[in-house]
Amino acid sequence: MQVKKEVVKLPLSVDERWDLIEKITKQTVEFGAYKHTLKDAIAELTVKPLTGIPVAIAVLYGFWSFFCDFAGTLFTDGFMVKIFDEHWLPWLQSVFPGGLGNPVYALMVDAGHLENGVLVPSDNCFEAFGVLTSGLFVPFGVVLWAVLAFYLVFAFLEDIGYLPRLAVLVDTVLHKIGLHGYAIVPTFLSLGCNVPGVTATRVLETRKQRFLMITLLGIFIPCGAQIGIMQDLVPELMGWIFLTLAIGYLGFGYILNKIVPGESPEIIMDVPPYRMPTLRNIARKLWIRTSRFLLVAVPFVLLGCLIVGLMYLTGAMDWLASVLGPLLIVWFGVPKETVAPLIAGFLRKDLAVGVLGGLMEQGVMTHFQVFTSVVLLCIYFPCLATFALMLKEENWKEFLGSLASLVVMVFVYGGLIHLVGLMLGVA
Amino acid sequence: MNEMEEKFGQIYFTILGAVALAFGAAELIASAGGGFTWGILDSSGATDPLFLPWRAIILLSVGFFYLSSVKDFAEVHQLAKAVMASIMIWIVAGMAIWTRIASSIPGEETWFNSLEGFLASYAPPYCPEMFLLPFSLVIVYYIMKEKEAEK
Repeated sequence: MQVKKEVVKLPLSVDERWDLIEKITKQTVEFGAYKHTLKDAIAELTVKPLTGIPVAIAVLYGFWSFFCDFAGTLFTDGFMVKIFDEHWLPWLQSVFPGGLGNPVYALMVDAGHLENGVLVPSDNCFEAFGVLTSGLFVPFGVVLWAVLAFYLVFAFLEDIGYLPRLAVLVDTVLHKIGLHGYAIVPTFLSLGCNVPGVTATRVLETRKQRFLMITLLGIFIPCGAQIGIMQDLVPELMGWIFLTLAIGYLGFGYILNKIVPGESPEIIMDVPPYRMPTLRNIARKLWIRTSRFLLVAVPFVLLGCLIVGLMYLTGAMDWLASVLGPLLIVWFGVPKETVAPLIAGFLRKDLAVGVLGGLMEQGVMTHFQVFTSVVLLCIYFPCLATFALMLKEENWKEFLGSLASLVVMVFVYGGLIHLVGLMLGVA
Repeated sequence: MNEMEEKFGQIYFTILGAVALAFGAAELIASAGGGFTWGILDSSGATDPLFLPWRAIILLSVGFFYLSSVKDFAEVHQLAKAVMASIMIWIVAGMAIWTRIASSIPGEETWFNSLEGFLASYAPPYCPEMFLLPFSLVIVYYIMKEKEAEK
């Protein structure tokens, strides 16, 4: 009651406010020696580098292992491939009017491919490349499960209170590239989808840090959809792909930090205690993130299929392949056919890897060329949705800077990978 | 926890830590040499060779965590190391079980697996972490004891 009387006298002077705080504290806070609980001790262990790093390695192992088995083994390979390749594609091939060679049929169902000079129908939805086949298989057969798996684990780690601890652990490393520990949040979010990742860069303090983060996200962080497709197509190369991207992320980040003017201040991080996550909260986050992702992804994938299909039909793809072919072959060491996935990649990266999958099925590429092409697809340009958001989040100078960095990076890094391949005798 | 429980914990987790270290070293060697299967023990990395060195590093850390926890085991920070080591085993073994569950449900040619195919998915060989899993559960007793003491 006494406190209430004091509050009525507002506005208070600074001294009066401190007096009031002291009175409230005396009535509400108990002082004494605090005995650490088991939860406190575990919380400390996960932020100390010596013990925290092995724990982080185990957590990331769990994350990745769950992702692969949930999205790849159980849903995509277990059910979706059967639904789409054994039922949906043959059914469409039998009922859709026109048949192989018909332009509308090629756009909507199956473009087919040449075998010994004869046009033959595709036997899987990666190869068919129609709006109703690949256009639906990529988002619903592969990507949806990958995104669900990613956001499920992400929401769990977020709610349990592990992410701030991971931020503390990587703080020292990220300071070397001009960022701080909380940059792990947009980085992790981007592994689900680059769009919320770019938005999350707002947690960073300075324009320089935001520019660095957005540029690095746009270049080196593949989204969950792309990872899902890559895991389905080239599971044996995933370790190498991520290693290449991580080296690029840190190396290029270090260079950018030296070049770009501006401040990268230290911050004090608030690390909350571990908490038991609630099912309701996780389900809500999962629903919001996955539904938003699908709303953004599905139209772009369908549009991408249509545009790439039209470009093949009109001969524009062949023309582009012949114009860009020398550059692709000489500088990057990949076949001229890679131009199709690179164009599709501007709309959706997952779709682009899907196009690449079709080329792999046709035996157009060597193993190293597949690796180079997948890395190139990751780094060469952000998808259209991310691109639009970059325009919104950056001013025009920063946006042009990000674009310039992208172009330089693609040529330098892509050329370097080719060079390493040549030196190792695998390119 | 009383003195006898502390003593038991020290001996038990020393042994478990040593076994985890041995398994970790074996997996590390296996990952360099392409993996091996020995009876019901599987360190082949057949499902994904990338996971083998990753698992080896985790197992070696588990071993060090257990071994470093045994001195003054009843002290809460020491106990926390053993708890963390057990949680790391639960993550890796849990994922090994999840892999089997995920591959046991869909069939090769049919929508769902046959009963024989389903059960066969859970047959040995098992990865080292699955052998350590039941033994790591002993830590639950010590967690409950500590929770009682905190109350």
